Amino acid sequence: MTRIGKWSGYSILGLVVVLALLGCAGGAINWNQEPPYALVHSWGEKGSGPGQLSDPTGIAVTDTEVFVSDARNGRIQVFDHEGQFKRAFGTVGDGFGELGRPMNLTIHGDMLYVPEYMNDRIQVFSLAGDPLETIGGPGERPGQFDAPGGVAVAGNGDLFVTDFYNQRVQHLRADGSFVRQWGTTGETGRGAGEFTYPTDVTFADDGTLYVADGYGNRVQAFNAGGDFLDKWGGPFALGLYGPFKGWFTTATSIAVGPDGNVFVADFYNDRIQKFAADGDYLTAFGSEPENPGHTAMAVAIGSDGAVWSVNFADNRVEKWEPVK
Amino acid sequence: MIRKLTLLLAALITSITVLAADNQYVLGVDGLACPFCGYGIEKRLNKVDGVTDVQVDVGESVVHVTMQEGKVLTEDRARQAVDEAGFTLRSYSVAEGRTGGGNGQ
Repeated sequence: MTRIGKWSGYSILGLVVVLALLGCAGGAINWNQEPPYALVHSWGEKGSGPGQLSDPTGIAVTDTEVFVSDARNGRIQVFDHEGQFKRAFGTVGDGFGELGRPMNLTIHGDMLYVPEYMNDRIQVFSLAGDPLETIGGPGERPGQFDAPGGVAVAGNGDLFVTDFYNQRVQHLRADGSFVRQWGTTGETGRGAGEFTYPTDVTFADDGTLYVADGYGNRVQAFNAGGDFLDKWGGPFALGLYGPFKGWFTTATSIAVGPDGNVFVADFYNDRIQKFAADGDYLTAFGSEPENPGHTAMAVAIGSDGAVWSVNFADNRVEKWEPVK
Repeated sequence: MIRKLTLLLAALITSITVLAADNQYVLGVDGLACPFCGYGIEKRLNKVDGVTDVQVDVGESVVHVTMQEGKVLTEDRARQAVDEAGFTLRSYSVAEGRTGGGNGQ
């Protein structure tokens, strides 16, 4: 009788340990390591006039300006940090200087890189708004795109592009010539280095390349040599979606802060999640939608650590700072 | 005579309205809230011969497709376009009396 009781005790203890391990792996057991961020400023409304937005899908910031992809209006709008409209460039179309649904934006040096979902190309502008060049075109061959969603630019000018419908990340020279790719063209995958509709990509200062594997509901990291480093998002980063800490339900944008932390727009969960460089969950914050749809579409980080995001459902730009 | 002409005009307008209505379709597709998804549906459907307008209604989870007069969007073709965009066609119907807007990219 005593032995049965003893074994029952061990069994219950074992079960608790297994459940705790599964809970930790799955995100059900997870403690905030940081307080959340607070919304400190926002602006914008639906429309096509200066300062109005129709489907904001991307954002990038400098120390003085905020660049926003105003997708359905086919333009980039530029604001100061207080939300005052400064200028806009682009119009709907597929010609030089025109835009077909601009997505996640990247600023490198004094140039703005704009992936165009409908035109299957990367268009490069000066920060003043002058079109400089286009890279790529529609297709599935090396150097071509099918709905590019994001681009990262290396120190030497090389481009790393998330090629959404081609299920790959392409590494190109600055002139658009192909170097290599991660993922199998046109085939979704759940393994390391495979993708399920990748949406955005960014570099950390140490050369680590982070990829938002959109419908794979995870982040994948690669070292400067292109070797797979890590992946996170849900249990074992297998692609399961959900609302728990560290899980995603469609990761649509990714950015690295000045301290090396990784911020991911978790679209269907209406939140930005913040992680340490190794994928440890830190905190999350976001806006509930006031209109049909979801809010957390794209994210950018200022040099002061402020988080900037675009609220897709409500056509707003939002600025977040840590709660003190 | 005037009455006959009025009736003829009314019949003509009715016929045109019916023909126009026959050229508009409503596709039920779930999971369209994300622009990466909704734009994909638009992109695929805009490549279908005869499509003049695609409007995604996120709130209703439907896509309104307008075709050129005389062109037909078959259910199979609609399903193929939706499949290519990575989704499943939940429903297919011919719209009644809805007029499309511009084909804004």
